Amino acid sequence: MTPHSAASYRAVVEDALAAGWRFAGLHATAQGALVRAALVDAGGRLRLESVLVDQNVSVPTIVDLAPSAGWDEREAHDLFGVRFAGHEPMRPLVDHDLELSRWTVPVRGHDAYQVAVGPIHAGVIESGHFRFHLVGDRILHLDARLFYKHRGLERAAEQSTLERGAAYVGRACAACAVANGLAYAHACEEALGLRPPPELMRVRTILLELERAWSHLNDLAAVCAGVGFAAGNNRFAALTERLRRLNADLTGHRFLFGIVRVGGSALELDSTAVRSAAATVASVRAEAASAWRELSFNGSVVDRLPGVGVVDAEDAVRLGTVGPAARAGGLREDARAGDPRLAYAGFETVVPDQPAGDVEARTTQRVLELRQSLDVLETLLDGPVRATPAQRTGVEAPIGAARVESARGATLCVVERSGDLLERVRLRTGSYANWPSVAFAAADNLLPDFPLINKSFELCYACADR
Amino acid sequence: MLTLLRDLRRLRRSVALPAPGRGRSLAVRHVDAGSCNGCEHELTLASSPYYDLQRFGLGIVASPRHADVLLVTGPVTTRMREPLLTAYAAMPEPRLVAALGDCALGCGVLGSPQELVGAVDTLLPVDLRIPGCPPRPDEIAAALLELVDAARA
Repeated sequence: MTPHSAASYRAVVEDALAAGWRFAGLHATAQGALVRAALVDAGGRLRLESVLVDQNVSVPTIVDLAPSAGWDEREAHDLFGVRFAGHEPMRPLVDHDLELSRWTVPVRGHDAYQVAVGPIHAGVIESGHFRFHLVGDRILHLDARLFYKHRGLERAAEQSTLERGAAYVGRACAACAVANGLAYAHACEEALGLRPPPELMRVRTILLELERAWSHLNDLAAVCAGVGFAAGNNRFAALTERLRRLNADLTGHRFLFGIVRVGGSALELDSTAVRSAAATVASVRAEAASAWRELSFNGSVVDRLPGVGVVDAEDAVRLGTVGPAARAGGLREDARAGDPRLAYAGFETVVPDQPAGDVEARTTQRVLELRQSLDVLETLLDGPVRATPAQRTGVEAPIGAARVESARGATLCVVERSGDLLERVRLRTGSYANWPSVAFAAADNLLPDFPLINKSFELCYACADR
Repeated sequence: MLTLLRDLRRLRRSVALPAPGRGRSLAVRHVDAGSCNGCEHELTLASSPYYDLQRFGLGIVASPRHADVLLVTGPVTTRMREPLLTAYAAMPEPRLVAALGDCALGCGVLGSPQELVGAVDTLLPVDLRIPGCPPRPDEIAAALLELVDAARA
């Protein structure tokens, strides 16, 4: 893959976007030698366009062509010192600048004031800082400063073996350990010319849906907490616990850590274990349906949800929103549909009947997707599990890229290798893609609704900060 | 709604934890100093119906000003060092520190050295260590109950 010159890089990206490709991620390679933009088409195909980083010529920004590249370019600037011509102002993202004016949008005027929240929040919540600009209770603008949890996982993974790299990616986030691990494994297998046989595809799909199911139940509990409805919160929290226990029964780990491997899977299940798992899934399905029915007749919950924190389909395209949040706005996109490396034959992307893109639609979307996850699990949990390793069928390449749908949305992983060693790994999770949408959704809403808006996206900080 | 609440009461009887009624309580303030979110998810479920930590007098409070225990997760990133120390300084004395999870204990930490300060006990005096990656909710509950007993002694 030959890198473009600074001048032609921008033109190539512009042409691709005009031809229907969408921005999927951007990163600087090791030592900041190159910048690579990842693009995805409607069928989920990925392509990378690279540009040489020259000491004397800045890389032209693409943030005006694809606003969702904003965070990626800021990250490449902060971590690799890449300068982007035309990206003004270049606000710090990973770096924490104490000068408020350098990282917030100036909001001035009669009665405008700021509320600072975090990095330590009032509940059991991850660390991150939100600065609200308000008039009265009305949010004018939200500046989110994350990366308090930046552990430098990508850099730490460099020069480890491809196999060992999975540990770094897996520990980026407990809630997305399988999705991130699979994106990494698929990217590595792409680079190694490996293809998963059907049985491996089945095991991995089971793991991915086990993770999504508990995650969606946890999100529904969080939405109940967001409106202060403790009974609903407890009901869905109890169901979350049941699926975490199922994870432990099946794999020995409640968050499925260490199960996804490059080129294979160590998971073996006999037919008794699989039968009992299918029974648990069926019982959780029945209980979740009844809990949701009770919730949907509870006025103190359902009256809080409509019209709050709207991201419609048009916003979602512009902001690069992914996952349930994008689909709740009517954007019919799901990386699971047609994924050749996973067992999603016949999978159809669902959207709510009224895809208004508000908290109500996002909550409904979770319920629909939970049902869908449990359906997939019941179909795939139909016999003993013993996966055979991936087979060499393709050509080897120094770079591999893959996208996997996590509970928060499409997660991109790009792996650059030299032999068996990792030169660079970039993990762009659904949470990373969606944080700017949370800030967008908050504007024009009331400050007391922010916890609810935030929980309706239910993004991980750990996944974004890495 | 009544059946729902009855169900929830039944759930917590299914976990073997000692009966409540020790006559003491501890207010806990949680600080995430760079975890993978696993410890947070398990801590959240420790308050769920199966475990229901509140019945033992263990509550999560909103401010370090109200807290007896600072419960810290994560390998302590450079960016969380100051907020963590500020939260500790805001606590009334006597105060306790609990390190939750293997990252907070400094074992098997993944990450770049320049982004991490190190285990919680390099910054603060740690009174309780809860190992695990992440520790299960019942392990968290049992460990915190030990702390209630120690505070009582």
